Amino acid sequence: MIAWLTSKRGAPYLFMAPVFVFAVFLFVGPLLFAATISFTDWEGVTAPRWVGLHNYTYLLIHDGFFLTSVWNTLVFAAGSVIVGVPLALIAAALISQSRYQSVWRTIYWLPMITNIVAVAYIWRYILNDTSGLLNRTLDVFGLGGPDWLTSTSTAMLSVIMVASWMSIGQNVLVFLSGLAEIDESYYEAARLDGANPLQLFWHVTIPLLRPTIVFVLITSLINALSAFVLMLILTEGGPARSTTVTGLYLYDMAFTDLRLGRASAAAYILFALIFVISLVQLRLLRRGSVEGA
Amino acid sequence: MQPMRAIVLTVAKYAALGFGSFVMVFPFLDMFLGALRTPAERLAIPMVYWPHDPQWHNFVRVFTELPMLTWFANSVIVTVAITTIQMVTSTMAGYALAKYRFFGSRLLLNAVLGAQMFPFFLLIIPIFFLLRFVPLAGGNDLFGQGGSGLLNSYAAMILPFAVTWYGIFLMRQSFMAVPDEIIDAARMDGAGEFRIFATVALPLIKPGLATLAIFVFIYQWNEVIWTMTVTRTAPELQTIPVGIYLLRGAFVDQSTLSLQQAAVCVSILPIMVVFLLLQRSYIRGLTAGGVKG
Amino acid sequence: MKTVGVRIPAGLRVVAALAGIAFGAASASPQPITTIRVATHYNAEQFAPMRACFREYEAQHPGIRIVHSQISYQDYLQTVLIARAGKSPVDIYSLYSIWAPQLIGTGALDVPPADIARFVRAGYAPATIDAATMKGHLWGIPTEVSVYQLVYNKVLFAAAGIHAPPRTLDDLARTAAAITRKNRQGNILVGGFAFDLSGANVTHTFYSEMYAAGVAPYTADMRHTNLRKPAAAMILGKQVDLFRRGVTSNSVLAGDFAGGGIGMAVMANWMKDTLRTSLGSRFEATVGVAPIPSDGRGGTMIYSFFWGVDAASRVKRPAWDLLRWLNSPRGKDGGLSCTGAMLDGMGDLTGNRSDLAAMRASIADPFSQQYVAALRAPGAVSQPNIWHASEADRVLKYYIELAWSGRMSPAAALAAADTDITAILSEQP
Repeated sequence: MIAWLTSKRGAPYLFMAPVFVFAVFLFVGPLLFAATISFTDWEGVTAPRWVGLHNYTYLLIHDGFFLTSVWNTLVFAAGSVIVGVPLALIAAALISQSRYQSVWRTIYWLPMITNIVAVAYIWRYILNDTSGLLNRTLDVFGLGGPDWLTSTSTAMLSVIMVASWMSIGQNVLVFLSGLAEIDESYYEAARLDGANPLQLFWHVTIPLLRPTIVFVLITSLINALSAFVLMLILTEGGPARSTTVTGLYLYDMAFTDLRLGRASAAAYILFALIFVISLVQLRLLRRGSVEGA
Repeated sequence: MQPMRAIVLTVAKYAALGFGSFVMVFPFLDMFLGALRTPAERLAIPMVYWPHDPQWHNFVRVFTELPMLTWFANSVIVTVAITTIQMVTSTMAGYALAKYRFFGSRLLLNAVLGAQMFPFFLLIIPIFFLLRFVPLAGGNDLFGQGGSGLLNSYAAMILPFAVTWYGIFLMRQSFMAVPDEIIDAARMDGAGEFRIFATVALPLIKPGLATLAIFVFIYQWNEVIWTMTVTRTAPELQTIPVGIYLLRGAFVDQSTLSLQQAAVCVSILPIMVVFLLLQRSYIRGLTAGGVKG
Repeated sequence: MKTVGVRIPAGLRVVAALAGIAFGAASASPQPITTIRVATHYNAEQFAPMRACFREYEAQHPGIRIVHSQISYQDYLQTVLIARAGKSPVDIYSLYSIWAPQLIGTGALDVPPADIARFVRAGYAPATIDAATMKGHLWGIPTEVSVYQLVYNKVLFAAAGIHAPPRTLDDLARTAAAITRKNRQGNILVGGFAFDLSGANVTHTFYSEMYAAGVAPYTADMRHTNLRKPAAAMILGKQVDLFRRGVTSNSVLAGDFAGGGIGMAVMANWMKDTLRTSLGSRFEATVGVAPIPSDGRGGTMIYSFFWGVDAASRVKRPAWDLLRWLNSPRGKDGGLSCTGAMLDGMGDLTGNRSDLAAMRASIADPFSQQYVAALRAPGAVSQPNIWHASEADRVLKYYIELAWSGRMSPAAALAAADTDITAILSEQP
């Protein structure tokens, strides 16, 4: 046995063994466990009680907030992609045309390496309606400044902005490497035809960057649909749950109310949503792209 | 293009990048200034923005009045442990998937890629309760009843992160670049599979190793949601960001906020230093490995 | 759960036993160690007087070891529920009464023996005994009790030319309007009134105002709410009015009080410590306490904690004995009990009548006196221990905030809250 395991035939299994054990006990096992629990009523103390599809129907039909939380999730995801991705693309394009690239790259990356508690607190102070830097700056220009984080009309927008700030560096890096791979000859040919920089960007860069853009859009959307920790720390999901996304809703359901069955069902509903959206996105965006992921 | 136009565009470009950089960096400075304010300056209406009497000793108070040293020790212990374990599991699995053709390798590779699709919120609830019911741990009997299992322990903080699918993928990419001939040559020299892995293959992917190690280290140092879930009732195990967040109730009074801001600054500093020192190899490795999926 | 304290290793115990036998027939057989584990949300500093008492009890009762651990307030119920399941890791709890229904539902609490029940009935305020009574049984010994009143900034009042705290809700609005100051951008610098979105502030303020108006938020059988009653909509409507007038907003926080950023807020008596620390010598001159404004007979909400014992504990009788000792007067003339000493140190009030009398000096100031009077007044009603109270509170908070933001009318919001909360209440055994 030992001989076989250490031979060329058996070695890969030995190398894969830790990952395999992990996958069974800390990945597949929990996923199955959660799926099973989602069909029960369980508070983690007494024995689970089988309720079939009741948790799912409750969430989708009777729960007064679940569908709103899904809407909030979609709004946040769409918002942070619409804001974050173009900004990252523009920043990357500018950086790739500039000197001191490594300096710019580092600067734009700083928020990514900052822990989310720090990010949330940094922005809580800046977005404070009376003492925060943003409103005081606006005041200097004679402009008004809303209760960014505490008004139901601006709270979600604020969360989107902070999330974009935090994740822009990641996408800038990806775009930079994509941009680096575009052959200079395309630009030269277009310049010979008299194209200005804006036309170059629109007609040469973007089409050639398409696979990278697709990749960034897909990963950004998936990450945004799963995000909830920022909302927890920045606004506690409020005010009036306007920033409570499904992930946050189910986290509280599980660890504060101990409704483990319903929370697991909510998790799977959200996962199904993310899965479907990813598939749709892949199909839509991959059509006609030069190279797939 | 006329020189005037070129100059205007260049200025515009650097102005835009400069403004973006300001938005990226100034928030950190804002937090730093906050740490230096006196309570009187904070409570003044309007709040005094530039501290006239910088309270440098707030940074000392962070260590004397808050359990920052405990948090720091925990952050180090947990992050180093996870990084080490992930390096081991990722390299071993990556090597197996890159250099061997074995029964199930195709399936396992797809599984590793597919596993990245499952968001963490799906795993939080089941892993938490599975840890609670581990037999013979934390006071549990053979059936996992009666005690608190592996909760409130370093094991709970570390085990769920023993494997990273992305890490396996990255290591596989790195190993694929190692020529098979070298491996075969070592085999013909009579070296055992594990020896080949450790002494021949591993040294050849040092850049990739460095990239992964830094990536994992930064990610785990900043990890908040799982750590928070599992150490909410064990203050002696909390890491820096989790500790700061869970202590927020102590900062209700406006005048004490400078200490909280100083703590946040301290939480950011170690990683920022690590990052600034190592960013070259980190960023290079990430952009090389990660774009096309 | 982490245990703090000294455990004598087994080996040493054996040696001690042998030593006992060897050194003379006069020595009694070795005492088995009885460990009693106590878990509270109080931190080490707050709990210090109790710890001193523990050492004294141990000295008086050789063979007993008492061990204390702290569980955070936010997670106390969840931690107890999750860590329990079967055998008991904790023997004595300090429970917020609304945590009790779920614990009782899973059979976690022991019914006190008859002598303890007599002890409680003889020495505690009726409202606190009610709080610890569920399903017809008394479940423990009451400890700290909290009351809500209107806390106002006398300095801001004087500056606005107001000399008396408001009596009715309309008075409240007018007073708040006179005090509110905004900056150039229209954001509030000094809020006339503060609700503060954190924790229970939103719902407890609402409940207190309901009790002041003479309407309980929940029915006596605790399976339904009274949120659809006109009184509830009227109260919420007046709250919404404060937002519309711009005298309060979601950004006005309780922590702003000491800095002069709030005119009035509904606060519990335990804020005394925080306010005293922040205001220092200006405390007496700045902080005023008054009954909660209402258009009715007046009243308030009180809530309390009680000491309970785990049903699966193997040391139930010793635990109850310890609790009785901890809550009995010490010293010759009915001095403070151990619990009383701890609560006194925190500036808290107690349901224990003898302790309340012994605390006379520390609650002689006008701040505390107003709260004590409110506690004794007929309109002070104990918070009902409804099923999944925290969850119900969070639902109510959501709808109240929706009404405040103008997205739902008060009546519609309360009706929706009633539907959701009734669904939760209908799950109880």
